[in-house]
Parts: sequence; structure tokens; C-alpha cells
Amino acid sequence: MPIIRARDRIADMPGDRLRRVLAELSDGDGPWPAERLCAVFPRIAGVEGAGVMLMSGDIPSGSLCTSDDVSHLIEELQYTLGEGPCVDAYQQNRVVTEPDLAHPWITRWLAFTPPALQAGVRAVFGFPLRVGTVRLGALNLYRDRPGPLGADQHADALVLADVTARWVLEAQARAPDGAVPEELETGADFHFSVHNAAGIVSVQENISITEALIRLRAFAYGHDRLLAEVAQDVIAHRLRLG
Amino acid sequence: MGMTREADVVRSLVEMADTLVDDYDVVDLLTGLTDRCVSLLDVSAAGVMLASPGGGLGLVASSSEAMRLLELFELQAEEGPCLDAFHSGEPVEQENLQAGSGRWPLFSAAAVKAGFQSAFALPLRLREVTLGALNLLSVTRTPIRQADLIVARAFADLATLSILQHRASTEAQRLNEQLSGALTSRIVIEQAKGVISERAGISLAEAFGGMRDYARHHNRRLTEVAQAAVDGTLDPSAWTAPRP
Repeated sequence: MPIIRARDRIADMPGDRLRRVLAELSDGDGPWPAERLCAVFPRIAGVEGAGVMLMSGDIPSGSLCTSDDVSHLIEELQYTLGEGPCVDAYQQNRVVTEPDLAHPWITRWLAFTPPALQAGVRAVFGFPLRVGTVRLGALNLYRDRPGPLGADQHADALVLADVTARWVLEAQARAPDGAVPEELETGADFHFSVHNAAGIVSVQENISITEALIRLRAFAYGHDRLLAEVAQDVIAHRLRLG
Repeated sequence: MGMTREADVVRSLVEMADTLVDDYDVVDLLTGLTDRCVSLLDVSAAGVMLASPGGGLGLVASSSEAMRLLELFELQAEEGPCLDAFHSGEPVEQENLQAGSGRWPLFSAAAVKAGFQSAFALPLRLREVTLGALNLLSVTRTPIRQADLIVARAFADLATLSILQHRASTEAQRLNEQLSGALTSRIVIEQAKGVISERAGISLAEAFGGMRDYARHHNRRLTEVAQAAVDGTLDPSAWTAPRP
């Protein structure tokens, strides 16, 4: 894993920083593991953390990687609530910026914002992941202080999103027919525990899986908890949705 | 270039560039290309060949029936300007078909019989990738004007870009669908683990082991067994703890 180095020189020419980091990503044999992507992104974009959300149809399916606990929380909140910078960036197919969550210029993400602020997130940015017209998800960057991304950082983030999207499709191209790519199976989080829990709840309540998923989500939302955590409680039989 | 011709060329380029951002049909694009060449350049007929994944060339578009037959003949005879342009990746200079270098004896004879006097061809190429070639024939021997050559190359380049873009997009779409499908199957397995573990009172890991054993024993696919568990159609005797 690359170690976090001292802050990059401010005098870098545009693209130099990106070129160096892409060279870093390519260090070693074979394709980069998912975690390496998120580990280097914050350094490039000058932010505290990064996370990549993958979407299936119109809903989040999971996260490819996150660089720290706060990024992990941002992804989990979006997965649970179905709203947030990644969700918007993907659904609207454009870059989404909120330079100050504490004083947002648009009223949105009413459920996402308070827990995010509490965790120390102050600015968030979402960049759609796409290859041509094909949309895969979104890259999320966050800061612990307010302020927009600089022009360089914004440009570099666009390239990062592009690199990530291609990484996902290339991983898929290498995967044996019908299988989830190895890199995603081991590195990404598709919230399998939520699906385990849905199976359990469907038997407990004698309902369909789809209905079980809805009830799990409703419970999480109504009790201000993350869906993944509720799922863990159901699996451990600490919780039964009546 | 006269004012109207310039305006027409620009409009054509803009229309073709639209295909870079929107979904479109490659055959439509190339048929349009041959029509544009005939109406805007000093040529009588145009044809486009593209290489198939196997490597062989196929005729994709032609501006007239006579041209279509001639291009098919070119492929059959395995000689002609289009083939040369494709294989070399370089423009094939205008050739006088009756008294030229004689490098395409069969093609030239057929072309002259069809009324054509000269031919030249451009590769559809972007850097190291050559996708096919554009054939331009004329009923006169008039040397091609430099201005026409420039426009023909611009059309060919734009068509090449569009096709490459389209192919990348199609491939990306295919991979994305594959990923979606693979994830869906995977998720059903996880849901089935939950269903079986709750019904049989066993752990998720044991449930997975049981599913796998059942699938192997009954010669069914794991994803199929998982779907049956989720649908509630799985044989209840399957939900016992796996044999040690």
C-alpha cells in the first residue's frame, strides 16, 4: 500500500501530480487492486477522503473502495438513504459539488446531511463514472473544511473518475463468463449481509425478498441506522423486524 | 472552394460529428458518407468497405447499384484500390484505369466496362488502426483537385472516429451488462443463504455448503438452486445440515 507522503508541492504544473500518481498506481505487477484506487485519490484531488459508489440500474449496489472511515460512512449513508452526492452525480449524469454542507446553496439531502456533518464532512463532490454513454456509478470526494475544488483538482478528479470507470470494465473483461471479477469480489462491498438479512426476514415474516428489503430499509431509515448495521443485527438474531 | 460548396462541406462535417455524441447506425453513417462524397466532390461513385472481426473486408455502403456490384467484384477478384488502401493503410493515388500502372487488371476491366475512367481510395484509419477503406470512382480522367482530396480525407477521418467511438461504447455496454448480470446472480445466492439458514436453523456458511452440495448432487447450477430457494420452490429435504 502506498504510504501517505507530505503534502504535494504547490508549484506542480497541472497534470504533473496526476501523472506521478498514475505512475504510482501502476507500480508492481498486474492490475491495481480496488483499494489502491481510493488510497491515492485523496492525494491527487487535495481532499481528505474518497469513495467510489457502483450503481445497478438506478440504485446503489455497493462501493468499490473507500479511503477512510468517514468515506466509508458517506458511502453507507448513501446506500441506506438512496440520496447524496454520488447518487445525484450518477442519476443526473453530471459533476455535483457542495462546497459547504453546513450552509448548502441548494436544499437537498435532508437525511444525508446531518450525519455527514456530524462525522466531520464539510464539503462533498460527486463525479460520475462513465465510459462513453455507459454509466457505472460515481466517485465521491470529501473535505473536512468548506471550499470548492481548485480548477486543477477538478480536472484531475475528472480523469480519476475516467480511470476508475475503465478499471471496472477492464476487470469485467478479464473475468470468466458470468462471474463477478475477482478484484470486485475481494475488494468491493456489495452489502451481501443486507441480502442475507433479506432472506432471513422473508422467512421470518413470510414475505417476498423484495418486500423484506423494503422493510429492512424502512427500519434503518426510521431508526436512523445504517442498513448494513441493521442487517448484521438481523443475521445475529439480535433483531427481529416484527 | 465556392461559398455554397464550403457551406455544404461544413454542414456535412457537423452532421457527421453529431454521431460522436449520439447513438447511431454505422451503416447509415457510411451510406451517408458515400452520398456526401458524390454530391460534394468531383467523383461519380463512392463505396466503403469495413474489416470484420475475422479480418476480412466486407462491403458496407455504396452510392449506386453499379458501384455496389463493382465493389463486390473487387472483393471477389481480390484486387483493387479499396483493398490496397486497406492493406497499406495509405491513400491510393488516383489511377487512370485504362492506361494506368495496370496493377488491377481484373478490377480495371470491370470498372471501365461499368463506365468508370479513374479511381482513388483512402484508408479509414486512426493512427495504427485501419478499419477499412473509402473508394472514389469517376467517369472522367480529370485529375482530382487538392481541395476535394482534403475534404475527402476529412470525411474519412470523421467516419473513422465515429466508428471507433461506437465500437468502444458498444463494448462498454456489453461489459456493464455482464457485470450487472453477474452481480444479480451473486446477490440471489446471498439471499438464498439467508432463506435456507433461517428455514433450517443453520449458519449462513452451512447454508451455502448445503446449497452447493445439493447443486452438485442433483447436477444443477448453483445459481439455479439459489433462485429456487428464494422462490420457495426448493425441495425442503435440501435444508438439512450438509453431510460431514
